[in-house]
Amino acid sequence: MSALGELRRLRAPGARTRRHRDNRAAFLFLSPWFAGLLLITAGPIAVSFLLGFTDYNLIQPPAFTGLDNVTRMLSDERLHQSLGVTVTYVLVSVPLQLACALGLAMLLDRGLRGLAFYRSAFYLPSLLGSSVAIAVLWRQIFGADGLVNQLLDVVGVAGRGWISDPGTALSTLVVLNVWTFGAPMVIFLAGLRQIPVMYYEAAAVDGASRWTQFRRITVPLLSPIIFFNLVLQIIHAFQSFTQAFVVSGGSGGPSDSTLFATLYLYQRGFNNFDMGYASALAWLLLAIIAVFTAVNFWAAKYWVFYDD
Amino acid sequence: MPPHLTRRAALVALVSLTAGTALAACGGGSDASQDLSDEPVTLRFTWWGSDARHERTRRVIELFQKAHPTITVTGEFKEWNGYWDSLATTVAANDAPDVIQMDELYLASYAERGALLDLGTARRHLTTADFDADALATGAIDGKQYGLPVGLAIYSVVVNTDLLTRYGVALPDDATWTWEDLTRLGAQVSRAGGGTVTGVQAWGFDTGGLTLWARQAGAALYDDAGDVAIPPQVLAGYWQYLADLTRQGIAPPASVTVERASGALDQSGLATNASAFATWWNTQLTSLATASGSQLRLLRFPGEAQSATPGAYYKPSMFWSVSARSRHPAEAALFVDFLANNEEAAAILQTDRGVPANTKIRNAIAGQLSPTDRAALEYLDSVPVTAPPRVTPKGASGVEAILKRYTEQVLFGRTTPEQAAKDFIAELQREIDAA
Repeated sequence: MSALGELRRLRAPGARTRRHRDNRAAFLFLSPWFAGLLLITAGPIAVSFLLGFTDYNLIQPPAFTGLDNVTRMLSDERLHQSLGVTVTYVLVSVPLQLACALGLAMLLDRGLRGLAFYRSAFYLPSLLGSSVAIAVLWRQIFGADGLVNQLLDVVGVAGRGWISDPGTALSTLVVLNVWTFGAPMVIFLAGLRQIPVMYYEAAAVDGASRWTQFRRITVPLLSPIIFFNLVLQIIHAFQSFTQAFVVSGGSGGPSDSTLFATLYLYQRGFNNFDMGYASALAWLLLAIIAVFTAVNFWAAKYWVFYDD
Repeated sequence: MPPHLTRRAALVALVSLTAGTALAACGGGSDASQDLSDEPVTLRFTWWGSDARHERTRRVIELFQKAHPTITVTGEFKEWNGYWDSLATTVAANDAPDVIQMDELYLASYAERGALLDLGTARRHLTTADFDADALATGAIDGKQYGLPVGLAIYSVVVNTDLLTRYGVALPDDATWTWEDLTRLGAQVSRAGGGTVTGVQAWGFDTGGLTLWARQAGAALYDDAGDVAIPPQVLAGYWQYLADLTRQGIAPPASVTVERASGALDQSGLATNASAFATWWNTQLTSLATASGSQLRLLRFPGEAQSATPGAYYKPSMFWSVSARSRHPAEAALFVDFLANNEEAAAILQTDRGVPANTKIRNAIAGQLSPTDRAALEYLDSVPVTAPPRVTPKGASGVEAILKRYTEQVLFGRTTPEQAAKDFIAELQREIDAA
């Protein structure tokens, strides 16, 4: 793929022999970003690792407690509930989202008129999806007197408070995530453009059906892109916070049905003066994401096909 | 640009930054009984509330600054949820506002961790002579005055008398009515309301209703030591009553109740004229009347006459607290004195933060009140109350989130009231033990 090719070129040995002077200028220009990384990102990350081994109530100095926070995780039922909610959310919403993205990318790839417009229109939600405004809108749409119920009412179906019912609240957040399929769609679209048309022509001559063409040509040649999107969206979904925070008013309710792991650790840290445990939870979440990503990379050996 | 110059410039910047921080740190540690500063002082004052409260508070700040030209007060205001998140972070960052509007739920959590000033050390600038000893005691922990009560409120039943008249339902006599009466009258309204209006707006999402229920049974949510003390069967009875109201259609379906409970006051069943009876703090009457446009009336809680001791109590609506790390504790105390004791300020603030706990101020503004505010004040003076419950213990500030969660589970039938009671008590006790 072209992006990977770029990366390889950047790592080419020639880059190392550039003059020292140029490096200085580069570091100078990078320094604002670098300062930001150290102070705002790397510093707090390192501190949170240390805080994970303490009892820290935000007001008094942290007290070292060893692995207490880890043993506490084992018996913390709300943590288990939140992990269940998060994993369900990831496993349901990411495949649905990618399927939508791929489906629409293939539609748009067939030389539609006004492609630029549709591409932008479908991409827009992924820019807005994790914003507070959209979450507030979602609350309205799926509320007891919201748009969804009004539409259902027209066709004579009795609606319900989708967001305030523990049976359906998480589904509304899944729908919200699926709706933001624009970002992976644009990447799919770029990937589809890279598949030589002659493959399809040859297949058509051989009498392959559209489905066979999809299965035998599109999927294998697109698999690095599918893999890339899968890894990215899984990580992204694990880190979802704003949607659940706004839609549930910060509670993860009703009855913990939308309690994402991120939301739970936020509650522990900022609502319950329990920042030590919250820091440990943040690292637990990081470890879980790392495991999911590692499994993904391991599985990639069996289905991702690199053409070059 | 030659690189060595940049490095030196960076070093200079770094050193001056560090020095600045160190100097700023030296500024702290003055005490609350010292003279007021001759130099200009800036105080930061934070509160939660509605737009109307922000406007009133802004006017009081202006009044204070006119009286004390060397002191500038900058206001930081938020809505309830964001307020506590941001207070926790600013306190953690050693950047707490000087004057803090504090709630009963959080008072012990902050005070017992040393974040609040003992206002007793600020007597020189802050008098509390016009406060009842009982009222003052609600803001004291181990004899130290960490919060000065601002207003008082009583948890009450608010009824929409327009709806009762429309459906031909009699107004109950609140001196004698029982929980069965509420069920019966609510059912009459729901029947007549034909699905659009229900008799009762279910509660169970704040501690007021639960505390009152427990006190009618001669129990309390916490014992004096600050441990959870409510008997499981009392708690189960509470949830059973709420679940029955929902099941019988006297209260709206669970999902509607949950949605309304998470919304603002003006989206509630009472404010939208969708329920006839609801539970609120008596001081919310004016906001509710404005939102609903209907005639509303305050009633005593059902069952008060039948229980051995009445459950009603004065809840301090909020407190004024001063940060223990304030660099201007004397000026902060002076500002709190102005908020609590100045009649001109009281004329602006009125009952927005509750019926004033300062008895002199309460009498002074009685004549200036709107009819609904006067009704709230008369209610406060007429209802028989008993000694207030213990302040929410350290670690239990999240009690309402826990309560809300179990109420939701009961209303949706995901657990039984008995099981919920057992789990609620265990979970709340764990939070207290861990703090």
